[in-house]
Amino acid sequence: MLRVSRVTLSYGDEPVLEGASIKVEAGQFTSLVGPSGSGKSSLLRVIMGLQRPEAGLIDLAAGREEVGILFQDDALLPWRTARENVALGLRARGAEKRKAGEEALSWLRRMGLAGFEDRYPRELSGGQRKRVAIAQVLALRPSLLLMDEPFASLDAIVRHRLTQDLLGLVERERLTVLLVTHDLEEAIVLSDTVYLLSQGPRASVRECYHVPIPRPRDLLQARAHPAFGPLLSRLWQDLSEEVGEPEPAAELLRQEA
Amino acid sequence: MRQALDRPWLRQLLALALFLGLWEGAARAGLVNPFFLPPPSQVGGVLLTLVAEGSIWPHLYATFLAALLGLAAGIGAGAVLGFAGALLPCVAELLVPVMILLNAVPRVILAPLFVIWLGIDLESKVALAFVLVAVVMFFAVYSGIKEVDKRLVERVRTLGGGRWLLLREVYVPSVVVWVMGGMKVAVGFAFTGAVVGEFVASSRGLGYLLSFAQSTYNAALSLALVILVIGFVLLLFATAGLLERRLLRWKYR
Repeated sequence: MLRVSRVTLSYGDEPVLEGASIKVEAGQFTSLVGPSGSGKSSLLRVIMGLQRPEAGLIDLAAGREEVGILFQDDALLPWRTARENVALGLRARGAEKRKAGEEALSWLRRMGLAGFEDRYPRELSGGQRKRVAIAQVLALRPSLLLMDEPFASLDAIVRHRLTQDLLGLVERERLTVLLVTHDLEEAIVLSDTVYLLSQGPRASVRECYHVPIPRPRDLLQARAHPAFGPLLSRLWQDLSEEVGEPEPAAELLRQEA
Repeated sequence: MRQALDRPWLRQLLALALFLGLWEGAARAGLVNPFFLPPPSQVGGVLLTLVAEGSIWPHLYATFLAALLGLAAGIGAGAVLGFAGALLPCVAELLVPVMILLNAVPRVILAPLFVIWLGIDLESKVALAFVLVAVVMFFAVYSGIKEVDKRLVERVRTLGGGRWLLLREVYVPSVVVWVMGGMKVAVGFAFTGAVVGEFVASSRGLGYLLSFAQSTYNAALSLALVILVIGFVLLLFATAGLLERRLLRWKYR
């Protein structure tokens, strides 16, 4: 579905990525994790076409118009209702107003927002706004969904519910997803494959991990799966090595000794 | 009683009544000279006479027409120039310094020039109101586009929106917020332009009447006209407020 080959990117004189390569298979959930400033979001922006790399190739099986993007910030138009916001992408792609409105309404219902369609974003909670943003992207039926820490700004309960709902949708619709996150546990329970970026500047892919937890998954049960703990430990160890700081647990044991 | 006084508008009304009462009392007691500061009752009497005799209407019509024409033309030209300046850097290079200069100087100094160029009739008053309003609207629209939320632009682009959709869904609504913010200032400026233009040289209008009242040392007429202008500007403010609530209902609902 998506192949990123040896991408190199700089912001002026500041190098960000050097030779980063990842592969996202169709129908698979892939996550990108890494230290702060390693260029995770930058790589996503390169894939979105919002940033031009100095070198490397982005091979996208689908057209750019088939890529859906969900940012951390929901960025809904404040002067449009929930329904109008969801219909916006459909209208941009030539859908007739009434048809786009009906489609938007159906997606809002699927996202558990029946009865909220005529509300403006300022009349919705953070979680509801995020659901509208998800409906806005999914209404376009993207072949590939790119997400940049979409739930980072939400509180734990809302975040858990939204992530579970999204997981259900992804599994039902067999969506292809690339998620950028700093949350290792989230990356493992959601993904089939996790890529770890090395410490920047000049970050590249350090490691690729396969997640052997069967689907359909439940967020809590996935954490109880025997493969979860060892994989989290390995990821944490590798990430700590990249960051160059002692692992907190290891540090505690060392102090006790 | 205490509950009734909890309402701010009632407290404001009571304060106004107290102020007018003190003023009236001071004038009647001979503490102030009614020649310079006539009591409210005398000012009210002049106002009633102007309305009852009907002599005020042609003057009100002249001032209103000049102010509204200047307001409409100023909004239109300010919006077009603001859009052009924000979207075309070469236009901004020429326009922004001129607008900054016009904004920095008191634009009413142009009034005598407009009289020389356009005569003492309606045109010179409309021109002054126009210049006053156009500068305010230019900056409202220019800033509205320059300060547009880049996340919204990026969002619409990633949803597949082109230039037309961006303009309709992001730029125009953003600009409306700024324009409505500047609307009350613009209404005040339109009246300033019309009245000052009439004050400098005219044969009718509230500014002309003010000039007449000044030359005849008629303080009661001057105050009556000031109250009239304030009353009508407040009326237009209320209309602008209603328009704002309608256009920005997403903000007020």
